[in-house]
Amino acid sequence: MLLCNKNLTPLQRRSMQRMGAALVLTVVTNLSTPSLPNPFRDLFPGLSQLTPSYVHSSVLLVGLLSALSVLPVLLAVWVAARYLAAEPDEFIRALVVKALLWGFAVTMAGNAIAGVFMNIYSRPFPLSVLNADLFFASGLIAFRILQRSYR
Amino acid sequence: MKNRLRMLRAERSWSQADLADRLGVSRQSINAIETGRFDPSLPLAFKLAKLFHLPIESIFSD
Repeated sequence: MLLCNKNLTPLQRRSMQRMGAALVLTVVTNLSTPSLPNPFRDLFPGLSQLTPSYVHSSVLLVGLLSALSVLPVLLAVWVAARYLAAEPDEFIRALVVKALLWGFAVTMAGNAIAGVFMNIYSRPFPLSVLNADLFFASGLIAFRILQRSYR
Repeated sequence: MKNRLRMLRAERSWSQADLADRLGVSRQSINAIETGRFDPSLPLAFKLAKLFHLPIESIFSD
């Protein structure tokens, strides 16, 4: 799964497109919850006008919305699992697994740092809603670095 | 694990990309195996043995 590379196999290209869809879906589901800190809303304050308010909403609707936020995560995991199952090159498979582990480590470290900031300043930190994006971006960068070491 | 892959490939004047194409893997895989940084699975080792017409133990050793 190489970013900006012309030599992608059809499987890798298809997986990248599906992963991109999962990341876009993450942003969309984050925007549907106005109480969550969202850097996109900070950048584009007009987005706040588009997002609905759920102050007087039923528990069912709130529950449904929270369930919706799971969809991009499940989609991303499904894409990664499908890719790993279909990738014929065992070495690339091993690299992808290593890269995903690095992505996991970076995300956990980022959340630990965000947790400290949230405790000190007593306010939500935007990183907490970008976990999926941070995970896959750092995983992708890790994959590129790992692959370069085998040139 | 040591292997004679680089030597066997050189005897046939194959590049890493040539060997990778014949095995259906990436060139980086061949590089990683040759340098001993990645041990191939049994199916890939069998493919290599078949390609070079040699037993596995004559390609790979401890």
